[in-house]
Amino acid sequence: MIFKKIIKSAVITALTLTTLSVNAADVSILNVSYDPTREFYQEYNESFAKYWKSKTGDNVKVQQSHGGAGKQARAVIDGLEGDVVTLALSYDIDQLYEKARLIPADWQKRLKNNSSPYTSTIVFLVRKGNPKKIKDWDDLVKPGVSIITPNPKTSGGARWNYLAAWAFALKQNNNDEAKAKEFVTKLYKNAPILDSGARGSTTTFLERGIGDVLITWENEAFLAKKELGVGEVEIVVPSLSILAEPPVTVVDKFAKKHGTEKLAQAYLEYLYSDEGQDLAGKHFYRPTLEPAVKKYASQFPKVNLVKIDEVFGGWQKAQKTHFNDGGVFDEIIVKK
Amino acid sequence: MKTHNKLLVSLLLGAGIVSSPILSFAADSKELEDLRAQIEELKQAVKVLDRKGEIAVEDAAAAKKKDAVVKASEKGFAIESADGKNTVKFNGIIQADYRYYDEGANDVRGRSAGRAGPLDADGFRDAQDTGLLRRVRPTIQGTLGGKYDYRFTPDFGGGSAGVVDAYIDARFSPFFKLRAGKFKSFVGLERLQSGSDIRFVERAYTTNAILPNRDLGFAVHGDLFGDKLNYALGVVNGVADGGNIATGPEYNKEKEFTWRLFTTPFKDNVNAFSGLGFGVAGTYTDFRGDRNLDFGSLTSSGEGGTTYTLNNGGSVDATRNGLPAYVTEGQNVFFRYGSNVLADGQRTRVSPQAYFYNGPWGVIGEYAWLKQEVGITAVGANATTATTIVDGTNKELNHHTWNIGATYVLTGEDNSFKGIKPKNNFDLDKGTWGAWEAGLRYSALNLDDDTFKAPNGSGYQGEGATAAKAYADRSISAKAAKTWTGGINWYLDQNTKVQLNYLHTSFDGGAGSSASAHQDRKNENAIFGRLQISY
Repeated sequence: MIFKKIIKSAVITALTLTTLSVNAADVSILNVSYDPTREFYQEYNESFAKYWKSKTGDNVKVQQSHGGAGKQARAVIDGLEGDVVTLALSYDIDQLYEKARLIPADWQKRLKNNSSPYTSTIVFLVRKGNPKKIKDWDDLVKPGVSIITPNPKTSGGARWNYLAAWAFALKQNNNDEAKAKEFVTKLYKNAPILDSGARGSTTTFLERGIGDVLITWENEAFLAKKELGVGEVEIVVPSLSILAEPPVTVVDKFAKKHGTEKLAQAYLEYLYSDEGQDLAGKHFYRPTLEPAVKKYASQFPKVNLVKIDEVFGGWQKAQKTHFNDGGVFDEIIVKK
Repeated sequence: MKTHNKLLVSLLLGAGIVSSPILSFAADSKELEDLRAQIEELKQAVKVLDRKGEIAVEDAAAAKKKDAVVKASEKGFAIESADGKNTVKFNGIIQADYRYYDEGANDVRGRSAGRAGPLDADGFRDAQDTGLLRRVRPTIQGTLGGKYDYRFTPDFGGGSAGVVDAYIDARFSPFFKLRAGKFKSFVGLERLQSGSDIRFVERAYTTNAILPNRDLGFAVHGDLFGDKLNYALGVVNGVADGGNIATGPEYNKEKEFTWRLFTTPFKDNVNAFSGLGFGVAGTYTDFRGDRNLDFGSLTSSGEGGTTYTLNNGGSVDATRNGLPAYVTEGQNVFFRYGSNVLADGQRTRVSPQAYFYNGPWGVIGEYAWLKQEVGITAVGANATTATTIVDGTNKELNHHTWNIGATYVLTGEDNSFKGIKPKNNFDLDKGTWGAWEAGLRYSALNLDDDTFKAPNGSGYQGEGATAAKAYADRSISAKAAKTWTGGINWYLDQNTKVQLNYLHTSFDGGAGSSASAHQDRKNENAIFGRLQISY
């Protein structure tokens, strides 16, 4: 009996001492993201830090890196030690497995909705009053219309833009690939500059005043209208666009190296929480879970969205056909 | 009339002779709009050009961050990744020496009939004046992943080719680094000074005679307290005094442990003692001498069934007896153990060491105590009789060596452990003469008197295969050598150096008709010159 009491006291004492001896730790992770997510993750990181502090007592600092999704993926493969990546399309994250085995092959199954906590689409941003009368994709190929879009070689958003245009052209021309190529070729002939990322294109259009129409992420268009170019721009929703599903994942190799696996996982899971989804909607990303879906439903225009799997056979095929070296885009640019 | 006038006006208007204000206004407006549109187009074109320029600058800056950097300077040639974590460097050292010996300078190896030249009265042949390439060492070194250093240095000097250094250093943290491969043992202070930075043409007895040169193994080392305390612990194959281990496998399974502690306690202070460093180092090993015996041709021997017999294919293999020959600072052998002697048992070295640099002054000193157990072997009488270590011949010998050298930079540059950088390079056009340094060193090696006495107590004896013989013959090998070295160093620039040394060595023993009637070998006087290029 006495022995049991002694053991119990010792255990309680040990636990107490352990608890007392644990101080709040300062921890840090790096989120390697694509170009237009700066404002979203700034607010998201503050929210997550408060959440993590209340849950664990630790002070977490999330460092951000932004750039064209393709460039960012290459940077991580080359050694940029991001604990998580939040990129524009799954193909770029697949490269982390294909080229460097930084993540498992089945990474996309680890989080809900194929690891895409929010979605988006592609719309047009035009000058106030829409002087060039842009209504749909075919207005972008008219002579005298200058379009701004990033470079698909470096930017994930640019690849979504390209595929959305191609999908429109296929629909207009009875799925004629040759006609679709002709259409997209004309489109890029009207593009005087190809920035490396979506934010760069926004800068070109808004700050430098170049171009008549910016093809961009829906969230970027809303942000431009609300904050960056108040009163100077209007959003035009085309008749057809593409469902963009920007995915996220923990970079297992680096998170393990830094000892941040749990933190990194929690950071991404928070995107699926009510707070995370609400913040996504607030920053004009389309949430995927209730109640945020309902709350922000009226914010987003109804768009006829096609999926990459249906039209292009998935990202692997689309990347290989259109964006790899020697692909269709390279042919189009040579003709430009 | 009115109709006529109207017709006339129309005709005139149509001919453009008279223009209607309405039509003119419309034409002007259209032209204006066209001009406005052109201006807008031009403005857009200018903006596009500007923006392309901005993007090009951003891309160039981003690309530059990834570009490798090529460096070439007096410190060598290097290629470095943009982030600095991966480098490869090319360095090298070439030393062209000339050695002049005064008449009477001897080489104990000259006592063998196999060497050319007449014997002098003491039975020695004179040391030969010679030019030589002392060191020809290109070095490839670098870093991988920001953390793993590597170094490879072959040497083509001295008439042979070999690997001097080949190691990897993993820098896990400043206080924990792991080195593996062939490297300078973390023991001697002067040995750890680069061959291009030593102040005298040859290192002193403590370094060249007693303490190990390079060995094969691994060592844990690090810097503590802001680099004020350095430590090293090594496990290596073990090498004879002053020895430079071959890179192949060894036959003696015992390992040698090395250790070193060195402190520069005032290095961060700005005072007279900031250049003071001192410490202590040592080695220890213990191995069975019979593992050093010659296994020239055996019949059968061993454990577990088959019986083998060590054969008398020869005496102890002189290259494997675990014992050194000692050379003077003039590089002539003045002591060697008898051909029947081998290392058998413990070998312990302890070496306190220090340096002090202050302005143009520099002093470096070391002491080493060597405790070496030896034995005498007897070769078997026939092919099936083993060569054995003679009973009663195991002896612990204690040798001592020490040296102290001082240099002064006459042209006022700061002295340091790592060499001198001239304020002004040698340039006849500018009338500048580089840096000049003068130095003086005293170095002595004193061997245990028991080395020359038979283990059975019968006094000074010659060499042989019994307990009645000594471990070395005092009429052949000197008991002590003491050398004064004076030198001048001329640093033409950071990479080029000329050295001139005068060496005077006196001996205790090493000559005479027999061990019991030994005499002192003649003094050895020599002049050494060196031209060195290092980068």
